[in-house]
Amino acid sequence: MAASVKFRVYRYRPEDGGKGFYREYEVPVKKGMTILDGLLYIKESLDPTLSIRYSCRMAICGSCGMRVNGIETLACHTQISELRRRVITVEPMKNFPVIKDLVTDMAVLFKKQRALLTWLIRRDLVEQENPTHQYIQSDEELERYLQFTYCIQCGLCYSACPVVSTFPDFYGPQPLMKMYRYFADSRDEGGKERIDLVDKFEGVWRCHFAGSCSMVCPKGVDPALAIQLLRRASLRG
Amino acid sequence: MSRSEYRSTVLQSLKTMLIAGKYGLERWSYVLQRISGVVVALYFIAHVLETGNFIGGITVWSVPDYSFAEKAYEETVKLLKNPLFDVGLAVVGFLVTFHTINGIRLILAHFGFFLGKPRRPEPFEPPVSFSTRQRALFWLSISLAVFALLYALDSLMRVFRT
Repeated sequence: MAASVKFRVYRYRPEDGGKGFYREYEVPVKKGMTILDGLLYIKESLDPTLSIRYSCRMAICGSCGMRVNGIETLACHTQISELRRRVITVEPMKNFPVIKDLVTDMAVLFKKQRALLTWLIRRDLVEQENPTHQYIQSDEELERYLQFTYCIQCGLCYSACPVVSTFPDFYGPQPLMKMYRYFADSRDEGGKERIDLVDKFEGVWRCHFAGSCSMVCPKGVDPALAIQLLRRASLRG
Repeated sequence: MSRSEYRSTVLQSLKTMLIAGKYGLERWSYVLQRISGVVVALYFIAHVLETGNFIGGITVWSVPDYSFAEKAYEETVKLLKNPLFDVGLAVVGFLVTFHTINGIRLILAHFGFFLGKPRRPEPFEPPVSFSTRQRALFWLSISLAVFALLYALDSLMRVFRT
């Protein structure tokens, strides 16, 4: 492994207006060092004006999503050694407005999630507040949606989606996957109401099954599968 | 949106649409499906215009003389009789075949066929939607498209030899 690598980091200051630019930093590398460690080294030792968002440092919180060498990844989950490159280009996620440097505004993602009713819908509100019995699920019922609960809402799939890039009104992989998670839950009573929300042009029908969302997910969630299954449900009515 | 912002958005969209990057096989399928769709649509328009010339183009409803159609046919054949158009036709054959077979794969996916069932994510396991059957169908579309390309080139070679 090289003793140091060159970080080519996207910089953008909203107060300056105009376009962003790239600045290069030489970063000494230690065994096991992640991209986030490298960025923190830059911030602490080379350039304190660099803005990044991070929290848990162990791929749980989904805060440090960014593009590293052209592909979406969590900075804390990617070791420098695994990239096998002397120059590492770090950019903010696509399809989100950039607030500063590598920090993006993810409000659009959460807004779309809310629009798709990403919570359990129960018709009997009295029973919901004061349940009279347990709502036990079989293993098969659990398997139908379990993998989609692993989503940490990091936004990498939304950034990788080529359809969102060309048609921003498309709900995007994460909100649609999240909606399917509840649709497939045996306790949910959303049913037709949910399908009506996504059975339209900017819903499931705009997806072209490019699969980039599933490819970049750091938790192994498969939004492309969820969207195809929602489509099947729309077709079956 | 200012003019420079608009231009930058269009360029970014085209880049996303035409460059598969490191996103894997499914993204290549998406890019090829986009390109083949646009090329086939443009070819269809050009083909209708070209064949429409024989019967008078936009003046078709006035029913032109036979001599007019004969002249238009000869001019069109003269224009198209060069290796560039011939190779272009073979490429169109590749793209039409790919677009058709891959399109059938996508329609089947809409109905949930060949996708696999949701399961717990396992480390180093590919997503269920990238199933072996899905990928086999993609490679089938590529194989048949290459066959169509080779068949068209072989036919052209035979034409050139005669």
